[in-house]
Amino acid sequence: MDTIRDLVTLFFFPGGLFVLALGMSYEWVDRKLMARVQNRVGPRWFQPFADIAKLLTKEEVIPLDGNGLLFLGLPIVALAGALTSALYVPVAGWHPAYSFQGDLIVALYLLSLLTLCTGLAGANTSDHFSLVGATRTLTQLFSYEAPFLLAMLGPAVMAHTWQINEIIADADGRWMLFLQPIGFIVALIGLLGKLEMSPFNAPEAETEIVAGALTEYSGRGLALFRLGRHVELVIGLTMVAAFYMGGVNGLPMFVLKTLILLLGLVGIQSLVARLRIDQTVGLWWRWGSLLVLAQWLVLVVWEGVQA
Amino acid sequence: MTWQQVVDDFKTWARVNSPWVVHFNTGSCNGCDIEILATLTPRYDLERFGVKLEGSPRHGDVLICTGPVTLQARDRLLRVYEQMPEPKFVIAVGSCAISGGVFQGCYNIIGHVDEVLPVDVYIPGCPPRPEAIIDGVVKLLGHLKDPAPQANIEEAN
Ligand code: SF4
Repeated sequence: MDTIRDLVTLFFFPGGLFVLALGMSYEWVDRKLMARVQNRVGPRWFQPFADIAKLLTKEEVIPLDGNGLLFLGLPIVALAGALTSALYVPVAGWHPAYSFQGDLIVALYLLSLLTLCTGLAGANTSDHFSLVGATRTLTQLFSYEAPFLLAMLGPAVMAHTWQINEIIADADGRWMLFLQPIGFIVALIGLLGKLEMSPFNAPEAETEIVAGALTEYSGRGLALFRLGRHVELVIGLTMVAAFYMGGVNGLPMFVLKTLILLLGLVGIQSLVARLRIDQTVGLWWRWGSLLVLAQWLVLVVWEGVQA
Repeated sequence: MTWQQVVDDFKTWARVNSPWVVHFNTGSCNGCDIEILATLTPRYDLERFGVKLEGSPRHGDVLICTGPVTLQARDRLLRVYEQMPEPKFVIAVGSCAISGGVFQGCYNIIGHVDEVLPVDVYIPGCPPRPEAIIDGVVKLLGHLKDPAPQANIEEAN
């Protein structure tokens, strides 16, 4: 019985197919809102599904230079990482499928696996655009990762635990967003950086370096990377909503809160132009990290005073 | 309906609903290119049909060529075409891409796009209006759905 339950959890709900479908739906919402902001009609509801299906049925060209095995394996690892981290967060307002002490760190690093794989995939070809894209991807990873992690650890410090479902239970009904406004803003903008959305899309700046690290990918590999990105969008939104916006109890709350967050992300995306890579790094290290560190200090001192 | 048919129908559906285009100037005067860019602006909003401009030929399904093929552009054009993964389609935009246009007989051109690549759709005009380009793309998609020849002279008149 337990095996069946585990298999269902892994492949259908809340992991696997369900997260994939949810990810593509959120991608559509993102694109549609973006289009409406630009006064366009925007894509039809099945657009991300059609894109992925088309890419999966296309020929996959494997470049001769670079390691073929890595070329084929990296997209799989990237998607697997993103899907695995879905098991530890309350997707769709459900309880996390699995949880243990410290799963917050594991989930966050599984999410970063996608970015790391993208960078490696870019470095694995001799294509100049891929190489530049890979450098930028990894540079950006190092700039937003630390502040984003610190921002997500804020609620954990308040809850005295590293376990996601305990943090959520603690944050339930408490809008951390008002208690830790800096953490919330850093988490939100860090999410933009993680997803390589404008203004942090220098790693795939199509006007400069074609498609960044994924320039050489076609067909299946590209589809898997895109799917990973979609899943990451959902998981990131879930985490920020659960930690900072008073928890995500039940499906309606989940949809409402994540969509409000997504609306905020779309707003930032359409208002701000692309930053240069050095500006991105400067922004994160000069402002993001310092601000979030200051907030951390206040938190720790406050916890010490209380204890 | 057999299983194979269902899979094929699904593939065709996905292909028809998500054509990503790669734009290549084979020697055009830039008039056609400006019109293609105008087609991709929010005013005409091709994302409605799932059309997306991609920079990398590896991501593209449809190659949009403009202008006559010059001697220099020929090698690059072939290379870009070879870099695209199957299945791929070519659209020739503008009178020059169709026949050489005003450049016909020039010392430095090979001729029209058809002499270098297999072309699926021709869009006449100098330059064609965005509406005409959209119509061409839609014709290509219609052709994918129903591969019977669609050249219908009465309809064109
Ligand atoms: S068809 Fe007209 S606009 Fe287009 S490349 Fe030829 S001359 Fe220029």
